[in-house]
Amino acid sequence: MNIIIYSMLKLTCQILWEVCVVKCTKMTDSKYFTTTKKGEIYELKSELNNDKKEKKKEAVKKVIASMTVGKDVSALFPDVVNCMQTDNLELKKLVYLYLMNYAKSQPDMAIMAVNTFVKDCEDPNPLIRALAVRTMGCIRVDKITEYLCEPLRKCLKDEDPYVRKTAAVCVAKLYDISSGLVEDQGFLDQLKDLLSDSNPMVVANAVAALSEINESSPTGSPLVELNTNTINKLLTALNECTEWGQVFILDSLSNYSPKDEREAQSICERITPRLAHANAAVVLSAVKVLMKMMEILAGDTEFCGTLSKKLAPPLVTLLSSEPEVQYVALRNINLIVQKRPDILKHEMKVFFVKYNDPIYVKLEKLDIMIRLASQANIAQVLSELKEYATEVDVDFVRKAVRAIGRCAIKVEPSAERCVSTLLDLIQTKTKVNYVVQEAIVVIKDIFRKYPNKYESIISTLCENLDTLDEPEARASMIWIIGEYAERIDNADELLDSFLEGFADENAQVQLQLLTAVVKLFLKRPAHTQALVQHVLSLATQDSDNPDLRDRGFIYWRLLSTDPAAAKEVVLADKPLISEETDLLEPTLLDELICHISSLASVYHKPPTAFVEGRSAGIRKSLPARQGSADETGTAQPESTVIPNQESLIGDLLSMDIGSTMPPAPISQPTSNVDLLLGGPADISVTPSTTGLLGDIFGLQTTPTMYSPPKVCWLPAEKGKGLEIWGTFTRRSGQMHMDLSFTNKAMQAMNGFAIQFNKNSFGVAPAAPLAIGALQPSQTLETTLTLNTSGPVQRMDPLNNLQVAIKNNVDVFYYACPIPIQILFSEEGQLEKRFFLTTWKDIPAANEVQYTITDVKFTSDQISTKMAHNNIFTIAKRTVEGQDMLYQSLKTTNNIWVLLELKMQPGSSTSTLKRLEVQLSRKSNEDQSTSILYTFLFVIM
Amino acid sequence: MGGLWSYFRGLLGAREMRILILGLDGAGKTTILYRLQVGEVVTTIPTIGFNVEQVQYKNLKFQVWDLGGQTSIRPYWRCYYSNTDAIIYVVDSADKERIGISKEELFHMLREEELSDAILVVLANKQDMAGCMTVAEVHQALGLEALKNRTFQIFKTSATKGEGLDQAMDWLANALQNKK
Repeated sequence: MNIIIYSMLKLTCQILWEVCVVKCTKMTDSKYFTTTKKGEIYELKSELNNDKKEKKKEAVKKVIASMTVGKDVSALFPDVVNCMQTDNLELKKLVYLYLMNYAKSQPDMAIMAVNTFVKDCEDPNPLIRALAVRTMGCIRVDKITEYLCEPLRKCLKDEDPYVRKTAAVCVAKLYDISSGLVEDQGFLDQLKDLLSDSNPMVVANAVAALSEINESSPTGSPLVELNTNTINKLLTALNECTEWGQVFILDSLSNYSPKDEREAQSICERITPRLAHANAAVVLSAVKVLMKMMEILAGDTEFCGTLSKKLAPPLVTLLSSEPEVQYVALRNINLIVQKRPDILKHEMKVFFVKYNDPIYVKLEKLDIMIRLASQANIAQVLSELKEYATEVDVDFVRKAVRAIGRCAIKVEPSAERCVSTLLDLIQTKTKVNYVVQEAIVVIKDIFRKYPNKYESIISTLCENLDTLDEPEARASMIWIIGEYAERIDNADELLDSFLEGFADENAQVQLQLLTAVVKLFLKRPAHTQALVQHVLSLATQDSDNPDLRDRGFIYWRLLSTDPAAAKEVVLADKPLISEETDLLEPTLLDELICHISSLASVYHKPPTAFVEGRSAGIRKSLPARQGSADETGTAQPESTVIPNQESLIGDLLSMDIGSTMPPAPISQPTSNVDLLLGGPADISVTPSTTGLLGDIFGLQTTPTMYSPPKVCWLPAEKGKGLEIWGTFTRRSGQMHMDLSFTNKAMQAMNGFAIQFNKNSFGVAPAAPLAIGALQPSQTLETTLTLNTSGPVQRMDPLNNLQVAIKNNVDVFYYACPIPIQILFSEEGQLEKRFFLTTWKDIPAANEVQYTITDVKFTSDQISTKMAHNNIFTIAKRTVEGQDMLYQSLKTTNNIWVLLELKMQPGSSTSTLKRLEVQLSRKSNEDQSTSILYTFLFVIM
Repeated sequence: MGGLWSYFRGLLGAREMRILILGLDGAGKTTILYRLQVGEVVTTIPTIGFNVEQVQYKNLKFQVWDLGGQTSIRPYWRCYYSNTDAIIYVVDSADKERIGISKEELFHMLREEELSDAILVVLANKQDMAGCMTVAEVHQALGLEALKNRTFQIFKTSATKGEGLDQAMDWLANALQNKK
């Protein structure tokens, strides 16, 4: 404590000392801060006070010039204000300009100008009166606003329309500074009176001021409501005022909700001629009013139809103006097309891109082309898009490629052509990297939209794996690999190669990689444990990204607690994506329609999103049709938008919770205990203390397939002293014959060779027998790898295998039965849907039933055991207390066997229903089933 | 050339004199200004800011600045002091309550260096009002006897009736010409 105080004191002393130093320096250096030079400001000051008017004017001009280039000349405020009372209009305007700029920075001094304003508002010259009232509105100083009310009131009743229309705008400006003042002084009523003014320009400005005031209303409800009477006056004034006046009037008409359909119709009729106006703003404002009125009109009437037809030509005409206007028009058309696609459905051609369009116009046109694409015009659109994809502008080409994909999703009959177009782009000789990447991104969406249709192109996609360097393309490719892992032979290798640079990948790629590996693991659990373990540890331990880490933990937890649920979640059927992407949300779209021809409609954002201080503004919405409010509310068809790649929960949430997908097995970790001999049934859960990972993988073993114990195949007495014990196993997708050779003779044996006779499954040694010299009373163990590429001949019994062993003594023959389970391939898992259809297709004649009694295991344990032997559980359900397991297996010679296991708890009876599908060759049903039965009996 | 021309103008006495009309609010400054300019009584509203007019009296041209007398505006009077030839200080003779304030403002103003050479004319205005102070009373209330080194004179006036203004202007014109 003392130490702290001491050090603080020390610090304080130091600071004081430094202050002293600074002070001293200041004293000595103060001369630099006072200058004897008068400077520019001083010169200007004296010029401003010059007696001669010409000099004064010159000086004010100099001041304004300095002001314009950003020099601070606010110090001259009093002097400039003193020049204000002059009969020279030019000088007055200059001083007013100065005032508008600096009144805010000199709010106290600004009061000196008030009297001049008051006087100028009574000037005989209407130009000066208007100038004064306009400048007054621009001076935003609270202190002087109250003095300006009287002059403003006078100007609102001025005999000259120019003054009145300027004063009308001034009211809106005053409202912005002090809304209370405007309401108290009755300016709103005066404005309303101006709506009936004889001069159309005054009407237009009054209506503009009123809508401005309404929009900034603090209560959110309009302060001044328009009624039928005023609307009629506005419509009359519409035809007579200037183009900008017309825009004001049209804009405020769009805020009016007619009381019935007839009124809406009459407004439409009177506005329609504005569509032919040369000014684009007038046209767009008229379009806005019509779009709004059409909401009120019944959509199926003839009137509405002709109105729709009338809307198209002016919009098309806007596209022949300069690019900037085109862009604004296109952004608005984008909204209109989303709201009412019918209006422009026949105008596809005008949205075709011209070679000399600026890029922003090109991109916008593409967007609209896709929105307008339909079956009727898709051929045209596609050939255009294909052209675009060969252009040079990168952004445009990308969007074009993406557009092709969107067409495929939107117009179903065109999908085939779109896919082949995309494939062409990928395969073309001069392939462009970013084209390939874009194509892969959209192909991913096409896969989502049309599952099981175009997967044949996956191999082509995989060829381009190395060229992908953009995160989105990489993520898409990884998604494809994960989603179709079962169809890509080397999916594990591919994903493994991605994992090498895991830490350097973009978060989006990392997430996809994580999900894809988990998918792969759930689909092909046999050899991918190391991979999934690796990716989970990368995601959860080595990553700082909370999203990635959390997703990793979710998968981990899922896999460790309920692998079946994991499968249900991760491999769930994804909802089909439909229609279009990036459609605006309907309520936002409706709001934006109300803002057509404003910045909001160009940004496609509501004004509150980018206009500050207007948060309490009125949210515009389309009027509901009387008596059919519900109709308009649900008019927008619901569409599912493709979840963004970045969307973390995309995969997790896309699971279909409603579906009744039964749990499926994954290979549970087991101990090395032989499942058959290991007696105790409870092997599924082994408590572990090594944390989560330990729970899943702690007992790091490959699941063992049941293999029968070695039996004596060749007794010593038959083999002239050579005794052979052997058995068959299946490890890592390979069949093996494990052999023990024992020399019971007196001399050494060598020159061993082995040969198989033709057999039912074409089993043959894949390598020569690896055994050298065998000394007397020595036993050598060897493993012979087998394949099924040998000659095939039907044997009896079916699984009989005749073996010939040769050594330096003699050739010996023996026969052994091939255990059926080693012929079960790892790919024996059918998809649920496929399983169902196949089950139905199998004729009843092929069905065989067996009953096994005294089964000690639960259905889950059976399921696990079966999985170790490559009999995969497809589905499980419980019917009336009976557990039903549906399983599939595939033999190496492509025979699919589907099983239904019915287990009655308590009675310990398992009914086996067997169905066989012959895919490649005939087999003896009775025999093979009986072999299978025997096998099942054994493992149960 | 320009210098020569102004020299001639100076000889002819055509130089525009700069005159400030000051005083508390409601003393009658704006009325006096327009009385001097157009010779009529105009209806005025409180001057928030200033008025500036050209006034021709005899052969003299004045540029007359009438500044608002409100408390909020008084601080800005000093912006107008420079190059001022004369000050017309208007006092409401009927406003006995604020004569003290008026005196303070007057002396505060006269302390300004820029006005050290300015001629002072005090107008005891509103002499037509019943119960107003006399010139002597105003003179005393303002403490004008304390003024040293200043050309000054006090007049009783009634701007609405147009009385006393001519004498005051005569005196001022003379004083200005003598000063040169």
